[in-house]
Amino acid sequence: MKYKDYYEVLGVPRDAQLDQIKKAYRKLARENHPDVSKASGGEAKFKDAAEAYATLKDPEKRKAYDELGRRPAGEEFAPPPQWEQHFGSREGGFGDVDLEELLASLGRGRGGAQRAARPAQGSDFETTVSLSLEDASRGTTVNLTVGDGEQGRTLEVTIPAGVSEGQKLRLRGKGGKGRNGGDDGDIYLHLSLAPHAVFRPDKHDLYFDLALAPWEAALGAEVEVPTLEGPVVLTVPAGTRSGRKLRLRGRGMANGRGGRGDLYAVAVIEVPATLTDRERELFGQLAAASGFNPRSAGPGGKHGNAST
Amino acid sequence: MATQAPELAWLDARETVTVTELSRVCALSPAELDELVEYGALVPLAAMPQEPLFSAEWVMPLRAAGKLRRDFDLDLFAVAIVLDYLHRIDGLEIQLRSLQALVPASTRPKPVAT
Repeated sequence: MKYKDYYEVLGVPRDAQLDQIKKAYRKLARENHPDVSKASGGEAKFKDAAEAYATLKDPEKRKAYDELGRRPAGEEFAPPPQWEQHFGSREGGFGDVDLEELLASLGRGRGGAQRAARPAQGSDFETTVSLSLEDASRGTTVNLTVGDGEQGRTLEVTIPAGVSEGQKLRLRGKGGKGRNGGDDGDIYLHLSLAPHAVFRPDKHDLYFDLALAPWEAALGAEVEVPTLEGPVVLTVPAGTRSGRKLRLRGRGMANGRGGRGDLYAVAVIEVPATLTDRERELFGQLAAASGFNPRSAGPGGKHGNAST
Repeated sequence: MATQAPELAWLDARETVTVTELSRVCALSPAELDELVEYGALVPLAAMPQEPLFSAEWVMPLRAAGKLRRDFDLDLFAVAIVLDYLHRIDGLEIQLRSLQALVPASTRPKPVAT
């Protein structure tokens, strides 16, 4: 068994009070927690600090640890005889046991034989699964590889139709194996929708940008638009302003309850980057004839004498 | 490698969990969950004569809050505060996604690098 200097890890003296130990741990946790720190090696430092704190905050574990005396970190050592009272005798001794695992077992009851038989729940796993909009809408099957123990396992998971961004699924009892009759752990799936080239999801509704020529927006038009199931024809009403949402009812994603969300075409009025002579002439005639002023008060501007 | 068919449960308002089950999956004791209820940070579905029942929506935020409790050695009142903030973050993320869907791609600001 290799010695770890928990006091050195936390940067506290061996006679440190609990408050001092707690303060030192919280400082290290704040600096190195994976949710907070982006420093390289931060996660390993956090784990080391958490391991040290788990022992030093507990009087019984700290006393057992202190019985080892002070040694260089990483040194192989033979545990003192009194550890057999704490942890029970072990076939083959303590040589292949990790110090953290051994000290953790101290908190789970007294008497080696009883501790060995105590049920322990298997580990939980959390992972994110990214789905295309099409798969999320109609349902799909994904293969998950769980790497617990020596043998990996592959789970074929059927994702039901109607998934929306951020939904979570629990696979009960499919995590790490429980020990001594303890329950198996669970797998938690965070479902995420992969970015789509055309559609933007909002729960089960879908949005996309519908580019319109100025005359299509002004005069109205019949245009072909995409849906998850293929193109359909949409009637653009005359006088459609930029940003107007045109709804195609029930053309969004399946909601998993037998219905579907809606599909919204968001009008985006585009103008030609360059004009032919004829186009310039016609726009000039329109400018001269129209009384429309988009900068006057009221939404969308209003008709009247355009200022020049 | 063996292939198995797992049992699925949605962690949203469609499903419910008992306090015993919630305690198991979040590594917080029933007494600690009761205290969170007293603080108003955790809300049971209804006052049940036997065992309180919760929406399965609580599972993931409680797992996250429980992990932060263990990692930062937080007391339970701090966990209650964390839970409130996790809820607010979740709500704001949903609102942000809705707004992003409405904004035309050409006018959407580029994400800020973090």
